[in-house]
Formats: sequence, C-alpha cells, structure tokens
Amino acid sequence: MAFEKLAGDPRKLQPLLPKFPGKVTMATANPISDIPTPSAPPITGLLVCLAPMPEEQLGSVLANLTSSFPAEDLVVATPDTFSTDSWPGIRFIPTPATNASWTLTASDFMHAHQLASENEARAILMLGPGSSSLRSSALRDLGNTVLDGSADLAVPCYDLPARAGLINSAILYPLSRALFASRVRFPLAVDLGLSRRMAERLAMGAQRFAATNQSEALIWPINEAAAAGLLTREVDVGPRATPQPSETDINAILASVTGSLFADIDAKAAFWQRPRFLPPPRGPVPFAPSTDAAADVAPMLDAFRLAYTNLQEIWSLVLPPNSLLGLKRLYVTDGAEFRMQDGLWARIVFDFLIAYRLRTINRGHLLGALIPLYLAWVASHINITVSGTNPERHIEAVAAAFEADKPYLVSRWRWPDRFNP
Amino acid sequence: MQNILATMLQEGPNQNAAPAYIDNASVWRHMSDALHQSLYRVLSLLIAILPGILAFFVALAIFTVIGMIASAVLRRGLSWVRFDDHLARSRGNAEWTPATSPSALIARGSFWVCVLLGLIIGVSAFDASYASAATRPISLLPYLTHSVGAIFLLIAGSLIARFLARSVLIGAVNAHLQYARFLSLGVKWLVLVLTAAMVLDHLEVGGIVAELAFGILFGGIVLTLALAVGLGSRDLVSRSLESHVDRSGEHAVVPPNPPPTNGSESIRHF
Repeated sequence: MAFEKLAGDPRKLQPLLPKFPGKVTMATANPISDIPTPSAPPITGLLVCLAPMPEEQLGSVLANLTSSFPAEDLVVATPDTFSTDSWPGIRFIPTPATNASWTLTASDFMHAHQLASENEARAILMLGPGSSSLRSSALRDLGNTVLDGSADLAVPCYDLPARAGLINSAILYPLSRALFASRVRFPLAVDLGLSRRMAERLAMGAQRFAATNQSEALIWPINEAAAAGLLTREVDVGPRATPQPSETDINAILASVTGSLFADIDAKAAFWQRPRFLPPPRGPVPFAPSTDAAADVAPMLDAFRLAYTNLQEIWSLVLPPNSLLGLKRLYVTDGAEFRMQDGLWARIVFDFLIAYRLRTINRGHLLGALIPLYLAWVASHINITVSGTNPERHIEAVAAAFEADKPYLVSRWRWPDRFNP
Repeated sequence: MQNILATMLQEGPNQNAAPAYIDNASVWRHMSDALHQSLYRVLSLLIAILPGILAFFVALAIFTVIGMIASAVLRRGLSWVRFDDHLARSRGNAEWTPATSPSALIARGSFWVCVLLGLIIGVSAFDASYASAATRPISLLPYLTHSVGAIFLLIAGSLIARFLARSVLIGAVNAHLQYARFLSLGVKWLVLVLTAAMVLDHLEVGGIVAELAFGILFGGIVLTLALAVGLGSRDLVSRSLESHVDRSGEHAVVPPNPPPTNGSESIRHF
C-alpha cells in the first residue's frame, strides 16, 4: 500500500510486485545527532546522495540538480560542510563520509536507504565522485526514470574514451550480460537511480557485509535487480570523468573487483543457471572513435610472456588443455599479430570463475594469476582497435562469446569432476 | 687322537690327561648354556611385549571404527542442521579458504582425532608392557610423541613453504620481476630449511651440530639471495623498478577531466 501511494497509480505497480516483499526497515539510530529532526518529515521527491567533492564541483552539481528538478522536491545528503545560503530551496542533510574514493560501496547503499526511509523519499539518486562532469540532462533522465516508476534501477551509460574502462569491457560487462541477461554497459556504475524497493534490496545485501566488518565491499546492483525481478533501465548520460582508485596497485584492485563479482555470481548460482532472455539492444552499436595512436602494448605482452613461463603450473590447475594450447599459440605470436580469440578469453574467465567456486587454489593466488591473462586481452583489444575495428563492436563480440559459452560454464559448474574438456 | 693330544699337552708324568678333555666339554657346554640363556631372554622379552603389540593394534582398530562412526554421525547431523549454510550466512562474504565444506572438514577431523587417540592409547599400552618386560626402564612413549610432533611440524612447514612460494611467485610475476621463479624457490627453501631445523631440534637429534648447520645453511641462502638480487642482477632490478614506476604512473594518473580524444590515449583500466 505504501508503494502504491508513493507511485501514484497502483495499476502500474500490479505487474511489478517484487518477489521479495521485504519490510521497510527504519533506521534505529540517527547518526545526525546535532540536526533537529522534524516530527513528521515532508514527503520528498528525490533524495540525492553525493560523494565528497570540492566546493566548486559541489556548486556545479547543485546547479545542475536545481535546473533539472524543483528545489522543494530535493533533499541533498552530502558529507561536505559548506554554506547553504546560495541554495535556499534545497534541504540539506549531512551524511558520514566513506573511505571509498572511486565507487559506491555497501556503506553508501546502507546510508542511502536509511536516509530515504527517514525522509520518506520516493526515489534516490546516488552520484559518485566527479559527478560535476555530468550534464544536467543526464541527472534529469536518471532521476525521472525512477521517479516516474518506469524502472527500479536506472544505470547510466557513459560515453568514455576507447581505452577507458577496460576491466569493465573485458570482464564485468560480458559476465553480467551472459549470466544475468542484462545489456547494461557499466554494471559497476558510480551513479545510480534507485527506487525505494531497489534501495531496500541493496541495503539488505549491504547489511550482510556490514555485519562482517566489510562495509567497503562492492555491491552489484544489476545482479541484485535481476535476482529480485526488479526493472532495470539504462540511460545515456554522455561523457563523464570517471574517478580512479586511489590505490595505485592495479593488481590489488583488479583482484578485489573481480573477486567481488565472482563471489556474487557464486552466491546467485541458482538464479543465473536458468536460461534467461536477453533484451534486444537499445540501438545500433555506438561508434567509439578508435585512435590511430599505437599504444605501447609491449609491457603487457612482456608481462604475459613472463607469466606464461612462470605460472604454467598454476594455470594448468585451472585451465583445461584447450585453453592452455590457445595460450601457447599466443605466446609464440609476435606483438603486432597478437590477437586473443573471444571464445578463448570467455572460457578463461569462466574457468577462473569455476576455480574460484571450487577453491582449486587459494583465491588470492587465483585472482593474481588472472592478471597477466587480462593484460594479454587488453593488448589484443588494443591491437584489434588499432587495426580499424570499432572498439565497441569488438566488446560486443566478446560479450556475445560469453553468451555463447554459457552452457560450458553451466556444465562445468554442475559437474566439475566429470566435465573437464 | 685325543690320547695323542693329551700326551703332547701333558705337562708332567704325574698329570692326568682327563681334565683337558673335560675343560673342552665344559667350554662347549658353557657356550651352549650362554647361547641358550640369551635366546631365552630374547624370547621371554618378545613374549612379554607381544600382548603390548596386540593391545596397540586392538586399540588402533577400535578407535578407527569409533572414528568412522563419529565421522558419519557428524556428517549427517551437520548436513541435517544445514551447518554450512548457517556458517556461510554468519561469515557473510568472507572467504573460506579450504576446498572442502566446513561440515566435511569437521567430520574428517573427528575421524583423525579418534585415530590419533587410538594411536596414543595403543602406544601407551605397548610402552607399559615393554617397560615392565625390559630389564632397563626405557620408555618409548616420549620419543614417539616427539616423533608425532615432528611429523606435524614437517607437514605444516611444507604447506607454509608451498603457500609462500606461490605467493611470492605470483606477486613477483605481476611486479614484472624476471627473477620471479628464483625468488620463489629461495623463499621455499628458506622455509623448508627452517622447518627441517625445527624438526631435528624437536627430535633432539644432532644437538649443537644441527643448530650450527642450520645457521650456516640459512645464512648462506639469505646471503646468496641478497648477492644475486643486489649485485648480480643489479641492472635487472633497476630496470624492473624503473619500468614499475613508469607503469604505476601510467595506471594511477587520475585525470580530473576526460582525456583529449586527439593524440595519444592512456590506457585506463577503470
């Protein structure tokens, strides 16, 4: 009843009843002790949760928000302290800052849900670091998608340079598309639009991590929405300055991101093993201008060759002979001709996912052994795009290879000892 | 022939030839008696400790059967109460490193605990019968317990050596160090040498000789690694460090604005 009231038209909600009608949990402790809470907070249209940012960026974001939404419908939660005199119509509430600098974590989702419950917000717009680079139309589209009830989760589609977001292109997007039947291009987006029930679902997942002192763990909204049967919609937002991890060791970050996704896939195995219908693409494959500048792939190839000579015994514990043969062929390939087949990469990722589940070797070692193979894929991708192929078309081909090899993953998942080609 | 010998050996006219013959016979009898007595002692000892050996095997067999029953009961009981699911929920997404489930580990552990108990009780029984049967009060039990501890030390040390070697290998490969395998082997042998020294010390074998040998060997391995890395591969280390710094700069630079589309693009993994 509460959802119907908030949405305005109960008929819209009838086919969208959630599979897990959980209760709306109210926050039992108000972390904002010095701010007087009104006894009956007004019903808010949109709660906007901002990441810490410099004041000039904050001003830019607030200007974009006020140009997109009525000020009286906005509640902005920010950990920054600044003068609010310039924004008289907007209600500001402080929120504790988190340690994560480049993505949304479990604690962010928990805070967002708590604030939304306290302020009776109809929808939540979470903006990560660097959101001042987003256009006001992007914020409007993201917010309105969840405000009008057409979707529970609004995920942006960024217009990034051809050689940015390579981990997303290599692993996150193909896995998400193959297993959860989602064409969302950026499953780990730093900006999200959430409905109340989507926020509740994400907060439930975040609480499990918080209970084990892992408040900085990653949450995968696409996977959660798919498992809960909630609607997801992708919104084109144009270019964005993507925040980079403060940790300079890419090995550790890649291992943590990939490990988090593998763990989430492992937890939702009962869901993704069933056949899923992939929705049609929203439009033609966008043409990302591939640069003719030859990137230096030699260090990545050297890393792959060094790993091939040293990590053979570890890879042989995880990969079947077919994949090892494919890697051997790559090892003897020259730099300019270095091309990793899409099917080979898909099977490598699937085999590592299975090894992660079976704990064939220590998981930290497993994810460390994946890094040189990822660098080999990056080198291959750059070589392909330098030769004139549209980068987005190649990424779509990789994702299609993941989809095509899903039966392989399901077979090895169910019968790990019997099916090992 | 004997008379001739007796005559030849006869010292005096009045000496009688019969005592020499009697001494030879008594020597053989004495030797025979001694052999018989020693054989009797061995057989007596063997017979005395046979019950101990039998008790050892009986105790081991009984406790093995008890262990199998306990393992089966625990496995069924834990799967019935969904122990694995409860544990996974309580641990959240924390990693469970072993390859087998917690309930299987508990069941297997209970079996081996029972076997170990059977071993201890069997050895105690054997030791008691051996101590009572032996003339000297030598007890085997302390040495056997030390041996068991030494075996555990050896297993633990081998596992740690393998884990650390693999960690160093993967870390060094991802750090683009050409001597990754050499480093990994060095770490592995350092841990194995340390383990061997601890085992020998635990068994009280070698004493000061083993300690000195360990010190010399350990120090030699460390010195070799230091010389190889510091002096012998100085150029490699400096090149590796320079390329590592360059790559860190390439990966970690965070342009606040989107990079220009014309000209060269840096590779951004996120």
